[in-house]
Amino acid sequence: MDSALIPEGAKRCSFPKFTIGIAIVGAVVLWGVYAMFLCWFKGLNQTNMNDYYGFALWIWADLAVIAVGGGAFFTGLLRYIFNVDELKNIINFAVIIGFICYSSALLILAIDIGQPLRGWFIFWHANVHSMLTEVAFCLSCYFAVLTIEFIPNILENRQANKVPFFHHLAHNMHGVMAVFAATGAFLSFFHQGSLGGVAGVMFGRPFAVREGLLIWPWTFFLFTWSAAAFGPSFTLLVTRITEAVTGKKLVKDNVIHLLAKISGWMITTYIIAKIIDTIYWTYVTIPSLGFKISHFYTNNSFYGYWILITEIIVCGLVPGLLLINKSTRENPNTRLLAIVLGVIGVCLNRWVMVLQIMAVPVMSFDTWALYIPSWQEMATSILPIAYGVILISLAYRYLPVFPQELELNQPKADQ
Amino acid sequence: MKVDRRSFLGLGLGAVAGVAVSPVGMKLTDDSSIWTQNWPWTPVPVDGEVTYDSSVCSLCPGNCGISVRKIDGRPVKIEGLDGYPINNGGACLHGIAGLQYLYDPTRVKTPLRKNGDKFEKISWKEAISLVSGKLAEIRKSGSPEKLACITDKTQGSVSQLFNHFLTAFGSSNYFDMPSLESFLELTAQTLHGKGKTLGFDLENSDFVLSFGAGLIEGWGSPVNCFKANASRKERHAKLFQIEPRLSNTAANADKWIPINPGTEADLALGICAVMLKKNLFKAGKFKGSFNKFVAMVQKEYSVTKVAETTGIKANEIEKIATLFAKAKMPVAIPGKGRGNGGQSLKEFAAIHTLNCLAGSLNKKGGAFVMAMNEYLSFPKAIMDEVAEKGAGKTKIANSVNELVEKLNGSSKPIVDALFVYNANPCYSLHDPKRVKQAFQKIPFVVSFSSFLDETAMEADVILPSNTFLERIEDMPSQAGLARNVIGLTRPVMDPVFDTRNPGDALISLAHGLEGTIAESFEWESYEECLESVTADVWDSLSEEGYVLVSQGPPKGNPIVDFTYLSANPSTIQAQGDLELMLIPIDNMRLTGTAPMASPFAIKTVSDKVLTGTDIVVEINPMTAKGLKDKGYATLTTPVGSAKVKINFNEGIMPGVLGMVKGLGHTCDNKFVSNKGVNVNDLIGPVIESGSGLDAAFGIRAKISKA
Amino acid sequence: MIHDKKAHKFGMVIDLDKCTGCGSCMVSCMSENNVPFKEDESRKKDSITWMRVYKLTNGKSFPDTEVVYMPRPCQHCGGKGDHGHSPCVSVCPATATEYGHDTGIVSQIYTRCFGCRYCMGACPYHARYFNWWDPEWPEGMENYLSPNVSPRMRGVVEKCSFCYHRYQAAKDKAYYEERETIEENEYQTACATACPAGAITFGDLNNPSHKVHQIVKPDPHPDPMNKDVVGKSRNPKIFRLLERLGTNPKVYYLSEREWVRKAGDNYLDGEWDKVKNHHGSSSHE
Repeated sequence: MDSALIPEGAKRCSFPKFTIGIAIVGAVVLWGVYAMFLCWFKGLNQTNMNDYYGFALWIWADLAVIAVGGGAFFTGLLRYIFNVDELKNIINFAVIIGFICYSSALLILAIDIGQPLRGWFIFWHANVHSMLTEVAFCLSCYFAVLTIEFIPNILENRQANKVPFFHHLAHNMHGVMAVFAATGAFLSFFHQGSLGGVAGVMFGRPFAVREGLLIWPWTFFLFTWSAAAFGPSFTLLVTRITEAVTGKKLVKDNVIHLLAKISGWMITTYIIAKIIDTIYWTYVTIPSLGFKISHFYTNNSFYGYWILITEIIVCGLVPGLLLINKSTRENPNTRLLAIVLGVIGVCLNRWVMVLQIMAVPVMSFDTWALYIPSWQEMATSILPIAYGVILISLAYRYLPVFPQELELNQPKADQ
Repeated sequence: MKVDRRSFLGLGLGAVAGVAVSPVGMKLTDDSSIWTQNWPWTPVPVDGEVTYDSSVCSLCPGNCGISVRKIDGRPVKIEGLDGYPINNGGACLHGIAGLQYLYDPTRVKTPLRKNGDKFEKISWKEAISLVSGKLAEIRKSGSPEKLACITDKTQGSVSQLFNHFLTAFGSSNYFDMPSLESFLELTAQTLHGKGKTLGFDLENSDFVLSFGAGLIEGWGSPVNCFKANASRKERHAKLFQIEPRLSNTAANADKWIPINPGTEADLALGICAVMLKKNLFKAGKFKGSFNKFVAMVQKEYSVTKVAETTGIKANEIEKIATLFAKAKMPVAIPGKGRGNGGQSLKEFAAIHTLNCLAGSLNKKGGAFVMAMNEYLSFPKAIMDEVAEKGAGKTKIANSVNELVEKLNGSSKPIVDALFVYNANPCYSLHDPKRVKQAFQKIPFVVSFSSFLDETAMEADVILPSNTFLERIEDMPSQAGLARNVIGLTRPVMDPVFDTRNPGDALISLAHGLEGTIAESFEWESYEECLESVTADVWDSLSEEGYVLVSQGPPKGNPIVDFTYLSANPSTIQAQGDLELMLIPIDNMRLTGTAPMASPFAIKTVSDKVLTGTDIVVEINPMTAKGLKDKGYATLTTPVGSAKVKINFNEGIMPGVLGMVKGLGHTCDNKFVSNKGVNVNDLIGPVIESGSGLDAAFGIRAKISKA
Repeated sequence: MIHDKKAHKFGMVIDLDKCTGCGSCMVSCMSENNVPFKEDESRKKDSITWMRVYKLTNGKSFPDTEVVYMPRPCQHCGGKGDHGHSPCVSVCPATATEYGHDTGIVSQIYTRCFGCRYCMGACPYHARYFNWWDPEWPEGMENYLSPNVSPRMRGVVEKCSFCYHRYQAAKDKAYYEERETIEENEYQTACATACPAGAITFGDLNNPSHKVHQIVKPDPHPDPMNKDVVGKSRNPKIFRLLERLGTNPKVYYLSEREWVRKAGDNYLDGEWDKVKNHHGSSSHE
């Protein structure tokens, strides 16, 4: 029924089947939208946040989604600036994932602030000393960049491409994409870092605070690094899921292995830096403030050393090594394990750097605070995932996202 | 004109681009932020001229002077009044929250009449005629003594006006609720003679031996005590606090001496014994079986016996006795918690005897035996024959508790009508359900309450009173204050609702009854009455807002009569035989008597006392076998049982459970009511023979996982 | 408008031995500053109390248990080196909170705050409160609201302002009376005036004639043991909460009891005994 929109030569499932799929995910989206309106009209008492947990599930979701969306900028940087040509076969998809991640982040922020109608004050009354200001500006600019990077792919839709203006526009945009990729990488470096800076500059919170270089705490660099490291893993994970759902191979193995190898090395070097940072923080920073590391991992019912070990070893060092090592990298099962662990690891890191900070008591007579999100928070956090599924479905169905798709899916020769 | 797709797109894009560069976007975003400042449901308080009014707070017997800041005549803040001889600028949280009482929408806004089990609004005219009609019937029946009255105190013109009314009516059945003042008066009467009360010069004493008195938790005149306590450091004065739990007073004291609940009298007599034995006492005008007392106390309250009873080591008791006796200006303070509720005469007398033996009577820093206030000059009530007959009959009971007992015990009504003013016996007496039962036997109950509290709910008619911020009244100091001050509560604004001064209501009632009763109430208004009955002091009272009648030690050395104690009255035991002891706790941030705590006060209550609607009970971890900290439990006493939450607290003796007073209200105020449990529901009265007082200090209890 | 010629540093010292835990400071603050109240205020993590009284214990078991009450207003931190980079001020993305270099007071603009709550995360004292609900007053109770302090709307952060409106009123009065300076007793916070035990002393830490300066004797030099710390009290019985973090708060606490002073900060095993008598640099003012 919609075959006129489908890329030439590509096979897609039937339109009714597609519609049903979209409708099911759409219901989840509607649930999330309902929760969103509840929060906007009734206020943030719809959440389980409180004065100890000013930053909670949404901020974690924000940070996590931006971290995993780092595949977009990093892949773009590698493709356009470092001319890793093979990555052209996955860059479109990485951009779409990035677009979804960043639009979700902006949406969550619009719900999370207490006075959404005043949200623009962050631009108008900007405080240059605040990390969040940096985040807001760069996030918005980068989202614009991602949109610009996404547009050519949209314009390459079979019908849109017929319009000469769109055809030429797309072609020309491809030509100057390097500029946008560079801009995107530059912006990403700063906002990924600033999100880390959000935690690292809080010198009132020993769990978060880090020393650093000039005005940038070490968490700044660790966040950028981890986003560049785990973002590609997320891209690979979503590709793998898409391949499973569509039943097609969409990207050649050599591209996958290349991106996995790059991700693996980035992860491993990141983890080494993270371990050094953690050791320094444990033995130099916090003792100078009167704390032992056990203060942050004991005497409460949730945050134990398990979370540190899981983040750094199980979901950090292990995936890194699995992806560096050729045999485990090229084995689809161990590679899948590695990228899943990796994505969990970066999400865990973002959880720790938002929620564990809030939970830890600082005054000696203060107590641990624990928190469970409300259904409204969960619905609005699942909303981006559902919306992402829909957007990827639409993009995959109607746009030539994967250049190697047709080549990999030639009709089989008759037996 | 044909609009094809291209031109449509072009037009559309052009329009969008045009709007984007126009000021529309900026204007709308700016407007939206202004909307967020002006939502109609965010109040904008109106500004105006600032003025300050002085008055006296009467929420508790402390009677602190207050300063009320007003904007265009609208009170917005209450603070303590600098220079006022009781509190000198300080105020407690309840007084500061006074405006929440004034403007409380759940107040009784107009007179009410009970119809079935609902109240309906009536006018003052109707209400007065209804009440005076019923009262006239009682007089007609020839038993005017069946009109009874319960108020909070006996002093002050309003209380005396109620008494005056009853006398002219023909009844002597005027009762005041048990209060620190009533206990101090009784103690003074027992030891020193009629017409006396006690004051304690805390701000000058160098050694305060407090037997559970909540000196910084609302005992006496709270702010006066706070200040006396705060100056301890500079004056190098010591405070020893004797009580079963680490109250705030104990925590602030120089030494906390844990004691088995209910054994304070024994300890006091034990200390007396030590002082007498070691000749550490100062001789005074000791009359009435002093020698008998000495013999009794050394026999029955030897250090070993007392150590056993109280749980305090013998050498510790001797040390306390020595320190107390050798201090320059020692004073011993009776009255557990706020000093109201269940207290025993033996305990008060025994503790005060320490002051007598230490030579602290009428000395700086000691205990003052003060003459009761005599500044009021009421005209004699004009009584007709009916009145003479009725007033001549003996009082039907000697206390509110005894009244309740008699009401419950008799099959025919002994009270036909009851006035209740500024008291909430259906909440603040032990085992309130028996009080409610008793009140239900009274055919006509008239409440003068401003709030629909538990007692007002039992009334047939409510004649609502102005709150203290809306009325004029004399406030004589009491409750252990070492100086005698008469304050003047003044209205800071006209009544918010259709309420009246209780004095005005009484005058209207009297006029409604005509005859000699009306003749006894010649005044047109309460204000006129006040001015006339305080004639001796009115000029300075109305000009300054207070009269400092006396301060400093009273002259003369009072006699001390040991008759009562020498007979060794028995120490009250807690009711029941369960393994643990439940004691009530007086928490500064709550009130155990009328009125209830305000929303601000409830807001300050710790989550270790109240979580949601669950009251939290203190228990030492050692006692809490099988119980979980912050978990639920069922607390059972011989009187009742309740679901509670548990708080493990090292600051309470093992074997003892602590529950705060002041929660568990059942009135219609969502901020304050239906939270927690009324501890009085779990404790029953234990009448002390001789004094007739309900001396229950607690009750035996058990607790198990819910 | 009066322009103060000399920079003030308004602060307070709270004598924890005098504090009774009565809660008058809490109620006076709420009454003065139009703080709302809800039906259930027992969930202290979303109960707005600009001034909050904490209850500390020495952790010992019966009968050696000791308890102290600690009133905690906003600490009006000066930040590391006391240069005005309070933990909260540095992180607010909309400059809705600012450090006043002329008063030392950290202000809050309710109408600019858009409720991101970053400042709340940054504050280790939990002195900042969020309006999770729209404040509502029972019918008639809005009459007692003061026109000197704006009632807030939901979705914004609020906190103790050291009763800044009283400072403005004092300045106005001085201006009308053609005076340049305001007297110590003309600007006092609601909590300080309310405290019936006189435990709170408020004033200008920079003014040698003010009581708070005389009691605290703040050392204007950086602490040799921690150069981010300025204004440490020369009295070893006076401490500040979490002083080691370098927040440089303006609220000082006094206690004769060692365990109370130790509870004011965090120490490694054995560290307390080395530093407990340290009181500022050796130079004299």
